[in-house]
Amino acid sequence: MRRVVVTGLGMLTPLGNDVESTWDGLIAGRSGIDHITAFDASEFEFSIAGELKDFDPAAHVDRKLLRRMDRASVLALTAAREAVADAGIDIASEDPADVGIIVGTGVGGAHLAVENQKLLDEKGARRVSPFLITQMLPDTATGLIAIELGARGPNMAISAACATGGAAVGEAAEVIARGGAEVVITGGFEAPLHPIYYAGFMAMRALAQHEDPSKAARPFDADRNGFVVAEGAGLLVLESLEHAEARGAKIYAEWKGAASSNDALDMVAAADDGRGIAVAMEAAMANAGVVPADVDYINAHGPGTPLGDRVESQAIRRQFGEDADEVLVSSTKSMIGHMMGASGAVEAIVTLLATQRGIVPPTINFETPDPDCDLNYVVNEAQQTDVRYAMSTSVGLGGHNSAIIFARWEGN
Amino acid sequence: MAASNDSERRVVVTGVGMMTPVGIGREETWSALLAGENGIGPVTLCDVSDLASQVAGEITDFDPLDVVDRKEVRRIDRFTQLAIGASAEALEHSGLDISVAADEIGVMIGSGIGGLQTLEDQFQVLFDRGPSRVSPFLVPAFIPDMAAGQVSIRFGARGPNYNTVSACASGADAIGTAFQVIKRGDAVAMLSGGADAAVTRMGLASFHASRALSTSYNDDPEHATRPFDAGRDGFVLAEGAATLVLEDLDFARERGAPILAEICAYGQSADAFHVTQPSENGEGAARAMEIALSRAGIETSAIGYMNAHGTSTQLNDKFETLSIKRVFGESAFDLPISSTKSMVGHTLGACGAIEAGVTVLSLRDQKGHMTRNLVDPDPDCDLDYMSEGARDLDLSYAMTNSLGFGGHNSSLIFRRFDD
Repeated sequence: MRRVVVTGLGMLTPLGNDVESTWDGLIAGRSGIDHITAFDASEFEFSIAGELKDFDPAAHVDRKLLRRMDRASVLALTAAREAVADAGIDIASEDPADVGIIVGTGVGGAHLAVENQKLLDEKGARRVSPFLITQMLPDTATGLIAIELGARGPNMAISAACATGGAAVGEAAEVIARGGAEVVITGGFEAPLHPIYYAGFMAMRALAQHEDPSKAARPFDADRNGFVVAEGAGLLVLESLEHAEARGAKIYAEWKGAASSNDALDMVAAADDGRGIAVAMEAAMANAGVVPADVDYINAHGPGTPLGDRVESQAIRRQFGEDADEVLVSSTKSMIGHMMGASGAVEAIVTLLATQRGIVPPTINFETPDPDCDLNYVVNEAQQTDVRYAMSTSVGLGGHNSAIIFARWEGN
Repeated sequence: MAASNDSERRVVVTGVGMMTPVGIGREETWSALLAGENGIGPVTLCDVSDLASQVAGEITDFDPLDVVDRKEVRRIDRFTQLAIGASAEALEHSGLDISVAADEIGVMIGSGIGGLQTLEDQFQVLFDRGPSRVSPFLVPAFIPDMAAGQVSIRFGARGPNYNTVSACASGADAIGTAFQVIKRGDAVAMLSGGADAAVTRMGLASFHASRALSTSYNDDPEHATRPFDAGRDGFVLAEGAATLVLEDLDFARERGAPILAEICAYGQSADAFHVTQPSENGEGAARAMEIALSRAGIETSAIGYMNAHGTSTQLNDKFETLSIKRVFGESAFDLPISSTKSMVGHTLGACGAIEAGVTVLSLRDQKGHMTRNLVDPDPDCDLDYMSEGARDLDLSYAMTNSLGFGGHNSSLIFRRFDD
């Protein structure tokens, strides 16, 4: 098994259009949540979301191409460019067959799909875009990134609802660990701020409601009442350690292990005993060769739903046993909302940055403790502390769970 | 966790389930393929009177109530229903009792598109009746990972679980990824495969808009899909699903499982060239085949049968032929090749899994099915596509290729199992 390290990062989140501005916002405990401006939401009972701020797609993608591309692909491509530039990697000087792309999304090109449906209904089949099918699929972005970079290695998307990002990063790392590629660009993206999806989530009664949008996302708080849907992307450059060292790359952290599982219970609700999440955490720790006492920080899925936060807290308690009161836990969804297929990847980045920087971002809006959520949450203010091993967990509709573990990079 | 070290761990196929336009069930599909039967007909699932392509491969006798209950019919999209049906059959075929190792048995089912009909229906609701009438089941029915999720829920498999998406290579990548998950010790068995049900107005209109579909055979559906034939004019959209049960060899042996074939290698590459067009001379597809051959540790001469991607589009069939020649050299002309899509049509994210299942059955029965409708050979497609009928073969190894929009290429190699 080869060692795998993280050498480049890219992010677009409601707190910032790059990694450092997002990180600054998270450490400052700022909320990126507000009323919806992306579409006319006046017909909805309420409208709260995590939107990107001042993001101009035309600044990133050529106008002609932009007309064909879904917003989701624009986000993926923009964050991928940041990650590759940050890694300082010149793909042209690499063997292109050794560079892969494994990027996840929950849905893919949602905007184009529904816009074209309207054209089909109102104006007929002739008006459907010739670019629709290739631009709306969940794997569109992996193809676009590969074409832009000339990356000819393993290439696919992974989809596991809200556990997508964690599953994609884990699979990408395994590909490198087993020698299938030297470099893999991985992560997740989602652009779900469209009326059809907002209506779908609202019909599920899954969305958080609060008179002050910035207080709507309140994971682990007794008054939590749902999640806040958000858009964004998180992309990582993973490399084999040999490859990173040979080119003198800066190293953020080392990937230690990952696992995925399914509750095998219900398509919406998490298993009440947290068994499925516990299976993923246990298998990830076994793969990483660590025990609960080694893990200093868990970036929890923590969506802010009454059931989700309780079940996850109980799963952590169950899995960590007597160490459960020691491990620091926080949910970044309190500030950036739930980015669906992007959230696991964005949170993996936050997790590994916590190891590098020795500071854990908080769960904001935590006011009233819930007896069912009784872990050592970092609340309202960031906490400085040594983080040697950190884990990020993700849980998705359909019963998907993933867990991924990073270690602080202390040199080889 | 599962034992032994990665390099020694071997993976075998112990069950196959299929739902295709030529048959509901594995043996029904396989015997229809060996008989060269047609699965293509006029579209009945939606109104196509104003659409250019009016033929499709539908599973016309499929009754959702055979796999889900009455309440679930409206909550679970058709692609997931097909995946549940195929998985139930595969599981029964393998005789695997998931409860003996539920945490170490996972599900990976690829889907290229997900629940397209659900999205279309609910968009109509939003448009006509407003957001408050949209179904709470829209999101969980539409998202493309739900086949993997629902199969795990039905059968109690709690191990690794997600969906691989790589357009028309999704099913092959699910099987290849599940193979690697078992090899690296993260599971002892995996239900892996693919499912899509995109024979919808939007599916037909959008694939036609990208100029991929056959449009000249609306009055003659049974001749519409004709891979490698000079008269081919695009693929025929179809629906389907297939699931393979993959197991760690030691785990399968211990429980006395029937072993159908061994999966030996998975090669994956990207063209990094164009969203819909294959790379020059089939370079990307060739590389996936070469990686698979090298990982299997065999020469091209060991491959006795190839189940080609063979979509019936001008570009695919020409460039896939070039890529086969590039890898196999002169011996390409001696390799028996066939396209399942000549009878089933193009099931998108399911095709790689259906064709992997067909390849396993070819090894089991030492037979290859024909390529139907190949009557007027295209000078650019000059290999042995078995146009004359099914053939008895002497097979040790067989390969299947899947090539997707976006430039995804995947090759899987299976081997006849003997200890």
